[in-house]
Amino acid sequence: MREPVFSVLGIFDSSQQLLDAIPAVKARVSGRLDAYTPYPIHGIDAALGLRKSPIGGMVFVMGLIGAISAVAFELWSEGVDYPLVTGGKPIFSWQAFVPIMFEVTVLFACFTAGLGMLFLLNRLPFFRHPMLHSKSMPLITRDKFALAVEADGKAIDIDVDAIAAALREAGAQTIEVLEQPAPLGLLSPNFLMRVVLGIGITCFVAGYLTYWGVKLFPVTIPIVHMLDQPRLDPEREDSFFKDGFGMRMPVAGTVPMAELPFTITKQEDAAILANPLPRTESVLKKGQKNFNTYCSVCHGALGNGVPSLTAAYGAKPANLASDSIRQLPDGEIYYVIMRGKNAMPSYAADLSEDERWSVVNYVRVLQRALNAKDSDIPQEAQK
Amino acid sequence: MDSEAISLPQDMLPEILRTQPVLTAAIGPGSLDDLVLGAVERKPPRAWYVAIACTSTVMLVGLALMGYTVATGIGVWGNNIPVAWAFDIINFVFWIGIGHAGTLISAILLLFRARWRNAIARFAEAMTIFAVMVAGLFPLLHVGRPWLAFWLFPYPNQRAIWPNFRSPLLWDVFAVSTYFSVSLLFWFMGLVPDLASLRDRTTSKVRKFLYAALSLGWRGSASHWQHFEKAYWIIAGIATGLVLSVHSVVSFDFAVSLVPGWHMTIFPPYFVAGAIFAGFAMVVIVMIVVRTTMNLEHLITMYHLEVMNKIILTCSCLMGYSYCMEAWTAWYSMNQFIHHTFWAYIAGTYAWAGWLTITCNILVPQLLWVRRFRRSFPVMLLVAVAVTIGMWFERFVIIVSSLHQDFLPSSWHIYKPTIVDIGILLGSFGLFFTLVLLFARVLPVIATSETKSALPGSQPHHAGGTHA
Repeated sequence: MREPVFSVLGIFDSSQQLLDAIPAVKARVSGRLDAYTPYPIHGIDAALGLRKSPIGGMVFVMGLIGAISAVAFELWSEGVDYPLVTGGKPIFSWQAFVPIMFEVTVLFACFTAGLGMLFLLNRLPFFRHPMLHSKSMPLITRDKFALAVEADGKAIDIDVDAIAAALREAGAQTIEVLEQPAPLGLLSPNFLMRVVLGIGITCFVAGYLTYWGVKLFPVTIPIVHMLDQPRLDPEREDSFFKDGFGMRMPVAGTVPMAELPFTITKQEDAAILANPLPRTESVLKKGQKNFNTYCSVCHGALGNGVPSLTAAYGAKPANLASDSIRQLPDGEIYYVIMRGKNAMPSYAADLSEDERWSVVNYVRVLQRALNAKDSDIPQEAQK
Repeated sequence: MDSEAISLPQDMLPEILRTQPVLTAAIGPGSLDDLVLGAVERKPPRAWYVAIACTSTVMLVGLALMGYTVATGIGVWGNNIPVAWAFDIINFVFWIGIGHAGTLISAILLLFRARWRNAIARFAEAMTIFAVMVAGLFPLLHVGRPWLAFWLFPYPNQRAIWPNFRSPLLWDVFAVSTYFSVSLLFWFMGLVPDLASLRDRTTSKVRKFLYAALSLGWRGSASHWQHFEKAYWIIAGIATGLVLSVHSVVSFDFAVSLVPGWHMTIFPPYFVAGAIFAGFAMVVIVMIVVRTTMNLEHLITMYHLEVMNKIILTCSCLMGYSYCMEAWTAWYSMNQFIHHTFWAYIAGTYAWAGWLTITCNILVPQLLWVRRFRRSFPVMLLVAVAVTIGMWFERFVIIVSSLHQDFLPSSWHIYKPTIVDIGILLGSFGLFFTLVLLFARVLPVIATSETKSALPGSQPHHAGGTHA
């Protein structure tokens, strides 16, 4: 039985002969006519009755899409998503967006023309076409011209003899009958393309999975980001030093900046300390602020030992306005802030030297206010 | 010889406008294939091995120094404030400029139907791609951490910020990457039919497989050619605008800033003219070498070289005009800072570079007014090399001379390149010529199918007729 025929080829020597043969063959046989040439031949589209290439319209539409999407993206990203004022220019400074709009338009248009031509319109890459296995192909890519009458899809039976005769009469030097293509082997370019495509898709999928993997499980080994690195956490043991402490004690004799060492160990001895701060409004304001922050929780906002918080716990903070405390010198109050007393802890770490003295001053204000007499009210206000 | 000479059909032109013969021997489509495609199949001549040994050695030195720069940091260069841009940006602008000639030849001259371009278009396009590849290395090195260069592209990121679309530096990223990808596409598109020819010629199985894969199964069908030609013309038309835009955008890096000597409206056309100037000089250098070493004297003829020399002369005059305009702009600005910068060009520390630029770019090319010199290899080689040197130093003057004395005299600084700077510059030439030599070895250096279609007798006499 005869193999199914794909097409019958007539080989011509010149483009002129090919062009002349087309109408002659067209009139005599049925079947799809195609020409194969080493370079584009002027006028062959009309002779074969090819439709106008739609590539111009495709390029126009894609170029327009490129222009619009570039400007829209620039306006959105610079003006809406993250408004960024640079060089005092307005947010919608469209002039500055023109160069990139132009480049994106060119990119879209050229890729549409080039890749659209190769991949969409010409349906390349395509390695199974029977023409590629024709004996005439090396001639066609060199300097010969072929006119082919092809079986149109399902209509496999074409009248080979009649076509050959028509081609020969039209001036064809050689006739070649092409059979339907056989399946391709494993190491064909077609297979290569599939492998490349497969690798590409695999890379894409792997990249996508990695992206989500890292996003959802940020500390998956070996992706540990900055969480796992050698560092010293507070209150943690550290094996670096023999004593196991991570943090070092200051060297003996170290003096803190801006403060003298406080060496007094008995409250009575502190009486000699002189209050360095004047009783100005700014000092008292500072004292009030620190008193309210640190002291008022137990001693109460007025300092009278009627607290807002400690009553519920049974603590008995001192009434700062009491006679015994009123008679203490400034230095002794300062000592209590430094060292604490009874249940009261030291506030040395929380308040600086100036802040402690300003609190002492403010305590004096509270004492005076809680023990005020009628005569303290100015004459004008008494009426 | 003259009796065999082939001339393009120019019946429509008056006598005086008709061009001289382009090809100096009778060449048919078949012999063209043997000449151009055969060169790929034969073993290359000894000179090729010697050449690639030299260029790849220089290239490797350059790549090693680039690696040293990346590993150590750009402190190994001579750049320092206020000369923050130096060899890296000079080389970038220089190599981008070299690329422009290729697109001009392949796109603009196609639109002008200057058929002589066929013989040199493929090579010039390849030079474009290689030059832009080399140019692209320099901004990457310049950023110091090339592995973070992807931050330049607008992609949704964790920091939720976008690149600044109002910055000329970002315009540059888009212009150069568009230019490279479009040039590559245009070049590959033109190569597909030639690769199909190679596929059908070659006897080696490995080569056949590779060429078959690369030619995508091209079979020269009439409808394929129809789409192909249309797409080719459309891309040529758009690439014309693109090539003019790319060096304009590169010039915006300078012109949009406020540095005296940079902030000028003439910069975009001035840069484009300079780019074409330098590019054509490079094409002439490479063509002289290629036509003799690859036996292509009959295809790349004296006619081509003379036409290119005329273009070089035209560009040289345009450059002279631009230099005069720079002087005029400085004077007319009545701005003491611009005056100062201009005096720095011609009488400052780097005045030697300024005068070298003027000598190489304006004075030497004037030799080409004489026809005998336009057709003399030593003279055209001298001019082309001078222009290449001159255009490099022009960028040196624009960048270093303008920057080294900024508004604050206490920060004035004399820039000196280090050995690493110079090594990377030489390495970039090595890289470029290595790529050019490899290209000449594995791909057809002349667009054969395009040249065939323009050979006499290749087209039917009554094109468009349907015989109906």
